Amino acid sequence: MAYQLYRNTTLGNSLQESLDELIQTQQITPQLALQVLLQFDKAINTALANRVRNRVNFKGSLNTYRFCDNVWTFVLNDVEFREVTDLVKVDKVKIVACDGKKTAFETDVV
Amino acid sequence: MASSANSNPVPKLYRSVIEDVINEVRELFLDEGVDEQVLMELKTLWENKLMQSKAVEGFHTEEQAALQAAAHQQAQQATQQAQAQQVLLPPQQQVTSWQSTRPTVTSAPQQQVIVQDPKILQHMSATGMSAAATAATLALPTGVSPYHQLITSQGNLSQNCYIKTADGQILQFVRAANGAQYIIQPQQQMVLQQQVLPQMQPGGVQAPVIQQVLAPLQGGHPQQTGVIIQPQQIVLTGNKVQQNAQVMQMPGQPGQVQQIQQQVQQVQQAQGGAAPGPPQQQAKQQPPMMLQVDGAGDTSSEDEDEEEEEYDEDEDEDKDKDGGEDGQVEEEPLNSEDDVSDEEDQELFDTENVVVCQYDKIHRSKNKWKFHLKDGIMNLNGRDYVFSKAIGDAEW
Repeated sequence: MAYQLYRNTTLGNSLQESLDELIQTQQITPQLALQVLLQFDKAINTALANRVRNRVNFKGSLNTYRFCDNVWTFVLNDVEFREVTDLVKVDKVKIVACDGKKTAFETDVV
Repeated sequence: MASSANSNPVPKLYRSVIEDVINEVRELFLDEGVDEQVLMELKTLWENKLMQSKAVEGFHTEEQAALQAAAHQQAQQATQQAQAQQVLLPPQQQVTSWQSTRPTVTSAPQQQVIVQDPKILQHMSATGMSAAATAATLALPTGVSPYHQLITSQGNLSQNCYIKTADGQILQFVRAANGAQYIIQPQQQMVLQQQVLPQMQPGGVQAPVIQQVLAPLQGGHPQQTGVIIQPQQIVLTGNKVQQNAQVMQMPGQPGQVQQIQQQVQQVQQAQGGAAPGPPQQQAKQQPPMMLQVDGAGDTSSEDEDEEEEEYDEDEDEDKDKDGGEDGQVEEEPLNSEDDVSDEEDQELFDTENVVVCQYDKIHRSKNKWKFHLKDGIMNLNGRDYVFSKAIGDAEW
């Protein structure tokens, strides 16, 4: 089982919303929806690990940090995200990061 | 398929994820006895939502590939139009050529004639003349001929302009720091004229420019004093500086100066378009509004103050102020700086810029943090980005 981390992204949210609509119209069961989401987790984790190959740098000032249950949550201010191609600046960004080490996760209860 | 995805990996990635998911769950759907139709509907809903969110650029279904391509072309045409702007003169730097304007004091509307010598323009901009509005022609008492020479100084605030008429007189425009302008009758400068002339040749930096510059009228507060100048640098030759200094010292002829000042004032008024000058600058210097926290005329409710004091004395609790409540500033002096909680306000955004990822290494040294992240999806300013690795620095 993979991280459910990516459900709160544009991609993940749109999937959840679509599933909710189908549940509303009773075209699928909530259980099935959950299964779909689990499948989504796997797919997105795999895709990110294998199909993306770019680097980003960023710098800014750290407003808050939190480390709980092996999850880091940061809030940064006045951040510049720099990729080779372009630069994106934001006033505030929240970063949520789960442990990237495989072993750490797979010991969790499925 | 349109080639728009080449530069941006996100649409492709999303597309592939969608395909994978749909294919994987097809079995699940069938196991549950759910029709394939529903699966297709799921896919359509999903894709539509992604398109609506505009978070992904160039995300489209195959049906809309043609539409996108057409829209793309239109966008490109639009951008080309934006480029064709001629930098005539930025409104800040305007010079009127004598040759094309009449020697009367009129309100020159906006940009008039273009500087003949672009270098002068640059100098002018550097000098801060830019704040001035339009250049207007000035009616010089001695009549003006088309040929003038201009010497500009590179001072930021003040400027010395010499205008040499055909008569051989050198009228000196002076612009003091506050924007006042003077024209100094040059009689005493006749001596200088001879010195000036030969040096007006472009042995130095620039060719003489046939221009009259009415220095920017900032604020229009002519000082009633005498000659004031702060000669700074003179462009053409070093000798000019000395000449300038000498000229500056002429204390005489206040009467003439005043006459000319009046003319200048008229010009200023006629132009009307004076740039924001000292008066406005002064206005900006007002101190920001201060809220009074205690005392007779404090801005907050007195009752609440009392209550809070009692509460704290009794409970000795954390002074947890609801920072967002009424936006009041009336917190206890003691601990009012402790709370940095402005989260409530900030959470009201539409777009919270979020990065969801995994961390390889988080490092901290004193207050310097280093982040090594991977496999992330970012939503910044409404747009989606992905990365396989991200490295960051921040200071706490």
